[in-house]
Amino acid sequence: MLNATPVRSQKAARVIDRMSKKLNRQIAGSLAACVHCGLCTSSCHYVQTNPDDPTYAPAYKADRIRKIFKRHFDWTGRVFPWWVGAASVYTDADLEELKDVAFGKCTNCRRCSINCPMGVDFATANRMMRGLLVSVGVMPEGVAVVSKDQWEIGNQMGVLKEEYLDTLEWMSEELSAELEDPTAVIPVDVADADVVYAINPREVKYDPRTIADAAKIFHLAGESWTMPSEGWDMTNFGLFSGDDDLGGAVARRLYEKVVELRGRKLVISECGHGYRSTRCEGPNWAGMDVPFEMESSVLTMLRYIREGRITVDKSRNTTPVTFHDSCNNARSCGLYEEPRELLDLVVTDFREMYPNRSENYCCTGGGGAMSMSEYTPRRLKSARVKAEQLAATGAKVVVTSCHNCVDGLSDLIRHYKLDMQVTQLVNLVATAAVVPARVAVPAAAGRPAPSLAGRRILVVDDEPDVLVFYRSVLEDHGATVVEAADGETALALARREKPDLVTLDLSMPGTDGGMVFEALRRDDTLTDVPVCIITGRPELRRLIYDRAVRPPEGYLDKPVDDETLLRNVRKILEVT
Amino acid sequence: MADIDAGGPDGGEGVLVHRSVLRLVKADITTLDVEAFVFYARPDLALGSGFGNAIARRGGPTIKKELDGLGPIAPTEAVVTAGGDLKARRIVHAAGPVFQEEDLQDKLRATIVRALERAEERGIVQIAFPAMGAGFYGVPLPVCAELMVSTIASYLSNRTGIRDVILCANDAREHAAFETRLAALAPTPAGAATGTPHE
Repeated sequence: MLNATPVRSQKAARVIDRMSKKLNRQIAGSLAACVHCGLCTSSCHYVQTNPDDPTYAPAYKADRIRKIFKRHFDWTGRVFPWWVGAASVYTDADLEELKDVAFGKCTNCRRCSINCPMGVDFATANRMMRGLLVSVGVMPEGVAVVSKDQWEIGNQMGVLKEEYLDTLEWMSEELSAELEDPTAVIPVDVADADVVYAINPREVKYDPRTIADAAKIFHLAGESWTMPSEGWDMTNFGLFSGDDDLGGAVARRLYEKVVELRGRKLVISECGHGYRSTRCEGPNWAGMDVPFEMESSVLTMLRYIREGRITVDKSRNTTPVTFHDSCNNARSCGLYEEPRELLDLVVTDFREMYPNRSENYCCTGGGGAMSMSEYTPRRLKSARVKAEQLAATGAKVVVTSCHNCVDGLSDLIRHYKLDMQVTQLVNLVATAAVVPARVAVPAAAGRPAPSLAGRRILVVDDEPDVLVFYRSVLEDHGATVVEAADGETALALARREKPDLVTLDLSMPGTDGGMVFEALRRDDTLTDVPVCIITGRPELRRLIYDRAVRPPEGYLDKPVDDETLLRNVRKILEVT
Repeated sequence: MADIDAGGPDGGEGVLVHRSVLRLVKADITTLDVEAFVFYARPDLALGSGFGNAIARRGGPTIKKELDGLGPIAPTEAVVTAGGDLKARRIVHAAGPVFQEEDLQDKLRATIVRALERAEERGIVQIAFPAMGAGFYGVPLPVCAELMVSTIASYLSNRTGIRDVILCANDAREHAAFETRLAALAPTPAGAATGTPHE
């Protein structure tokens, strides 16, 4: 009796149909050329940490895609399917299995690709597979959330335009205050600038100090520069999701904004996938010729120092540092030496990690992995390779030019309890930058610091030392301070004292800071009270910003010094 | 296409369809000062990310509270909520087809019509549409633009109280796609109204 042909689901049929349109010479070559020699196997950090599980081997993972290619698009698979391992997909469950491989067992870091003697670029084929799955709605929830934010809000963290502009204004004020120079500002939408600077939305949401640091460097270099009010996100989740349409739309928005502003050069802040997407892949996805130059901010900073436009003092960065090569910056775009040259100029104690450059290991947060929480245990297990690499350097700081790597490395450093911090080149260069002596602005000279007299501030933290510190700093400047060491007390005091501001720790026993924050927002009598989160656990930010209530008015990372605390309190309370 | 000053967001370019205006603007739809706009919703009416994220944060929690009592809805169906703290007074949540599903174009047409009908039931005369299903949900932009313009023009050609329909492009790419379709719909120099009026 003949076997009946299985019925193919709508989604499976669409995947096969669309694969015919996505296959190009590079992908077809990669799918056809593998000889299963196994040389890729040891290059993969997933394999190294799961030696007994063959499903992590790049060749095995590629075979999940290759079998479909062979079955439908290669004559060998049509004629001898049993010989070449050709097979099709029929059900939605088949697609879920493919999702698990394409999203959950590979970060598309391309380390296996450079170790393949046949030139098989598995990451490119894997990206195609991701794109095919996304086109039928089969993707991790986090990928869907981020993709939709970038399609519709214009950036992959859902930062609203008013939040972005408010952050630029805030950082502009910080810069003016730091340099005591009212001309040190962040220009927005200035036409005909030599440099248009585009950033990662993570900088707005979680790490705005990098914006102020970059602005400081542009200002000290005397650069004619601006930031765009729209189309400002230089990241591109299309690279991770495999959605070329998203890739093209996002790249085009940025390019068109630079053209509208008549900018001469687009400088891309430190982000590996953003640089690769914008500088290398974007013009192809967008299908347009880009009429201006594009440059990584790493090269911009290096050029400023070489040309004498800024002066740096490396003795300000004496902590031992090592450098992590972002996969997209390094393996995919060739940025190996420039960041090291820059580091040599701004730090005194650089320690190379091994292996490095094109052979460096993935931070394990690449390929969108940080947005796929269902795979976090796998990711952190695979991060052991990176953790051992970092620990062997003896450095106290790991520097990287990629925001994904910052998050991936920070997470593995916490998980493996390494005594290290993560930072970026822009932070080190800004610290090392020498501010030329200048005449003080007369209006600012001798002006007393604005007083907080009459302001009632509720400080909430479970660490007694921190409470004492906040109280002393704020009371010294006139504020009336009320303390709470836990969430329940905080809510009770807030209702009784009706403070003008609440500073709130997140990680506390019992009712944690996130619950207190939401309760404050949902209490009609307290909903307008501004809240400044001060936390030593930046990974908890998402728990705050994802709540369906107005976001906090301030967000600071511990440890916080007195100047930063006062500056932010005054900003929130509009005390000038 | 002619510049039409129909009030609301920036006038915009558009065409007359029978007694109504169909026009095009480029903006973030959640910031429009309009009587109502359409949100391309899921059947469970969760706001989620993207425009849903913007609605939740700019519009405040009352929208979600109202939705909690309305869902889930059937595919191609639509419901209307207040606009909360948004400039828009109402939001029409319309559950359109997603990700290359079967009969996608028919379902998309039905969703657009149902959104207009639900708005009309509430006496809404001005409504803005995003590029329905394009972008994240994968409806090809040329298909979306052609289908939206033809479906809305056909609806406006019948007896309707809706006087102002705004196609809200999120970027230049969407704007260009709608502009092409609207130009094809525009009246000839003789100035005849477009669509297929049969009132």
